[in-house]
Amino acid sequence: MTKLFACRCEQIAAIVRKDFIVGLRRKASFAAMMMFALTAVASLSLSTGGAPIDPKILAAILWVVIFFAASAGISSTFDDEAQAGTLPTLKLYADAQAILFGKMFGVFASLTALTIFIVPIFLVLFDVAVEGGLLLSTTILLGVIGLSAAGTLTAALTTSATVKGGLFPILLFPVTLPIFLPAIKLTEFAFTGAASDSSLLVVMILFDAILVTATSILYDYL
Amino acid sequence: MNKVIILLTLAICAAIIFFVPPIKGLGDLAKIIFFHVPTAWVSVVAFFTSAFFAAKFLREQNYSFDKLSARAARLGFVFVLLSTVSGAIFSKLTWGAYWNWDPRQTTIFVLILIYGAYLTLRAAVSDEKIRAKVSAVYSLLSVLTVPFLVFVLPRMYFSLHPSPVLNTSGRVEMDSIVLIVLTAAVVDATLIFIQLMKRDLSYNRKEPT
Repeated sequence: MTKLFACRCEQIAAIVRKDFIVGLRRKASFAAMMMFALTAVASLSLSTGGAPIDPKILAAILWVVIFFAASAGISSTFDDEAQAGTLPTLKLYADAQAILFGKMFGVFASLTALTIFIVPIFLVLFDVAVEGGLLLSTTILLGVIGLSAAGTLTAALTTSATVKGGLFPILLFPVTLPIFLPAIKLTEFAFTGAASDSSLLVVMILFDAILVTATSILYDYL
Repeated sequence: MNKVIILLTLAICAAIIFFVPPIKGLGDLAKIIFFHVPTAWVSVVAFFTSAFFAAKFLREQNYSFDKLSARAARLGFVFVLLSTVSGAIFSKLTWGAYWNWDPRQTTIFVLILIYGAYLTLRAAVSDEKIRAKVSAVYSLLSVLTVPFLVFVLPRMYFSLHPSPVLNTSGRVEMDSIVLIVLTAAVVDATLIFIQLMKRDLSYNRKEPT
């Protein structure tokens, strides 16, 4: 059993490595995600012109930007294989769960990079004083985990779609709502420094676990 | 069966117009509640029906389950739209605004989004076998939001929406005539849904998906 697991870890690592190398060769989708986030934050900050904004709305803006930038970036997770027709071959080499988790780690890494890039810019441009730095980081981490789990499965669903424009966020939004709404609340608490509600963190952890498990179960049927 | 449903529907309409007393301070338009509650009920039933057939399809790979799942979702989409519009009208009468993101309104809106997303996904995938698999997986994935909408969301935001008839305190806070007519309307709507689910199967015609 341990041998099987270790073997899978190797497969997962191989998938991550492969995607990273292919990604380096074609940086377009990663760059698009970053630039999308930057453009969105800049346009919002520019258009509000430094007017004081309620922390509640700031938190919402931050998550809406992260959500749509993530959508732009990770919707094409399975497209390379689908276009080249190599997904069945990949499934011969590694088992389906290894592919899924390999892809999920890849998505997680790029979303983490996205938030590390965009959150400081957001805080500077909107002049937000963060009271609870730890709470903010935890919330973002939990949010990114949920987005990567649901996003990877959704990407697998939309690969075979003939009409792609806008389909990915449409599918992803209702599914990630259970982590999206608590994340906005918690981010607001982190901005204002109000006593945070730890039950919301529990909700996020719970739904992250549910999403990862469900993704793993459902991917077998695809 | 069709005749029974038509008669029942007519009887309920007559009862609503003639027997149900006007709701105090709200006028006759408030009787839209007899339309709102049954359609909301059916839209939730259809959601679970669709997920149930999706799970059955994934287990047995029988494509007629996929068709049933899709049909439940299509019917559910119609019912959820009717329910949302009638609910918004009732909300305007009682709360003074068509929409204020009350937890119940959020729930029904998420339901619209899920139905919409499911049907868009079906429309976007042209290969029949892949479409069946992909939409079944999405249908089951979207069911995961239910515990959040039912248990977490109402705690996060204050709700003005009245409790369902079968509320936790176990009391029925309604006139008996209102309760009878409302129950009949819910049963009627459920029968209409079941009949619509069955209809296309018995004719066995080729339908566009």
